[in-house]
Amino acid sequence: MKEVLKINGLQIGYKGNALMPPINAVLREGEAVALVGANGSGKTTLFKTLTGNLKPLEGGVELCGKPLESYSPNGKAKLFSLVLTEKPDDLFLKVFDIVAAGRYPHSGLMAKLRDEDYDIIKEKLQVTGVYHLIDRDFISLSDGEKQKVMIAKALVQDTPIIYMDEPTAFLDYPSKVELMHLIAKLAKEENKTILYSSHDLELLMKHSEKLWVMAKGKPMLVGKPGEVDVEEYLEIREKDKR
Amino acid sequence: MANGKISYLCTVMSERKQTRLWLPTLLILLVGVLLFVLNLVVGSVGIPLSEFRDVFMGGGDETYRTIILEYRLPQAITALLAGIGLSVSGLLMQTLFRNPLADPSILGISSGASLGVAIVVLLTGKLSGMAVSAMPGWSTVGVTIAAFAGAFLVLLLILALSSRLKSMVSLILVGIMIAYIAGSVTDVLKFFSQKEDIHTFVIWGFGSFSNVGKAQLLYLASTITVGTVMAFLLSKSLNLFLLGDRYAENLGLNLRHASLLTILVSGFLMAVITAFCGPIAFIGLAVPHLARFTYHTSNHFVLTPATAVIGMDLALLCNLIARLPGFDGNLPINSVTALIGAPIVIYVIFHRQKVLSR
Repeated sequence: MKEVLKINGLQIGYKGNALMPPINAVLREGEAVALVGANGSGKTTLFKTLTGNLKPLEGGVELCGKPLESYSPNGKAKLFSLVLTEKPDDLFLKVFDIVAAGRYPHSGLMAKLRDEDYDIIKEKLQVTGVYHLIDRDFISLSDGEKQKVMIAKALVQDTPIIYMDEPTAFLDYPSKVELMHLIAKLAKEENKTILYSSHDLELLMKHSEKLWVMAKGKPMLVGKPGEVDVEEYLEIREKDKR
Repeated sequence: MANGKISYLCTVMSERKQTRLWLPTLLILLVGVLLFVLNLVVGSVGIPLSEFRDVFMGGGDETYRTIILEYRLPQAITALLAGIGLSVSGLLMQTLFRNPLADPSILGISSGASLGVAIVVLLTGKLSGMAVSAMPGWSTVGVTIAAFAGAFLVLLLILALSSRLKSMVSLILVGIMIAYIAGSVTDVLKFFSQKEDIHTFVIWGFGSFSNVGKAQLLYLASTITVGTVMAFLLSKSLNLFLLGDRYAENLGLNLRHASLLTILVSGFLMAVITAFCGPIAFIGLAVPHLARFTYHTSNHFVLTPATAVIGMDLALLCNLIARLPGFDGNLPINSVTALIGAPIVIYVIFHRQKVLSR
């Protein structure tokens, strides 16, 4: 399958201090990968480097065959979309307005929506199961609903890659499971490449397809949930677990 | 998609938009016309309605003619223009700082503009040895530039600080402190200045819509039109700001350019009006909220024009109250704007708390 994201000898960190040995990894089309690691292990630093907000110390990132730096701001907006833990908090923002903003990289100065834009907005709201909320104030939604609206925004943005920062945080257990299914579905049916971070190790062991595991100072571990011993790598001992 | 061109969604959206937009807009414009007429009719001198027809036909009594055409008409137009400019300027600031209490007068930007004007009015008088206020019509362009420079500098300072001040309240507190500093520097300048200049400056500081002569109206009208159109053209960026910096950037917005442009337009509008009318509080703070509540939207393609027309109405209303016969035109405009604006702001704070705690 097509390689969408390629990480070549990437050293991440601040002020010349590398957090871990160089990373070499690949994300393919239709692949959903979970990024696991304790707080401070470098998940956020990796995300910042992948979005171009932080310069790599060494090595680089290739998106669709071209280096990340070679893309313009609007070019990047068409390559990867974000789903973040922070959410818009304006009182009068409608669900429609937020999802429609996903079309902005594809529109002109007046952000005029064409018929096909409306079609995409409707379709993606249906895919994430929140079309019935289209007229609601975003601020009045539950955490799970907000998360799905932000994912619909990312889909409407129509990018090959989606980065999600802890999409299952703040959700109750059934919503977490539902969201894991949604991520798997988007990868398979919408052909998206998804990299998402999570702390829900048990959930990932059951529902994720592939893991990238990070720990400070160690090389990144890549593998399927059944094949890699995450707990040993992260040095989680029995007595810590409960 | 099953039905390509005009989808179900599209029809629903456009029908909804139309009913929600046209009714309030028509009402606001009608009220605006009514207030404009009342601004011409009401005043300390009672003018018979029949005289208005004569005056606008080109005849009429000489005294009435002067009062209507030289005083009331320019004042009403100035109020209308200032209402538009101040409100749009306030809207840009509230969106840029994602802070419902951001406003030129609260963030110290008016004070920066005042300081700029003080430097021009008070210092040049001191240096040239004659009172500037005695000069034939103090240079409007000079005062505008000074107000703009002052406003712009404070805006840049606030923007630089805002990235470090995460809390809404701390940013406002810093703005108030900046206002104090600018105010005390202004006071020091006053101490060393000539009496006539101080008098001019103090009167200017009260705020008034009646200082703009017929000759300067065109200048005021064109600058405010340009500023408002620019603000409307920024709507896409402003909508993105609302989502938060990281989402905005990920949707292709160049944060630094867009912030700077927003500050320039907002500061420009504010500075032009402050130069002509003095620092006028609360209109820029309250009107964007009235627009949000009336249209129930945060979409700037609707909100920016809505803010402009509501600002026009509110400024005309404030001017009308300030000139009611009993006050003899002596009530400072700022007292009226505060009386109307402050309760609106208090309501906004309570409403926000209610919605957020749900």
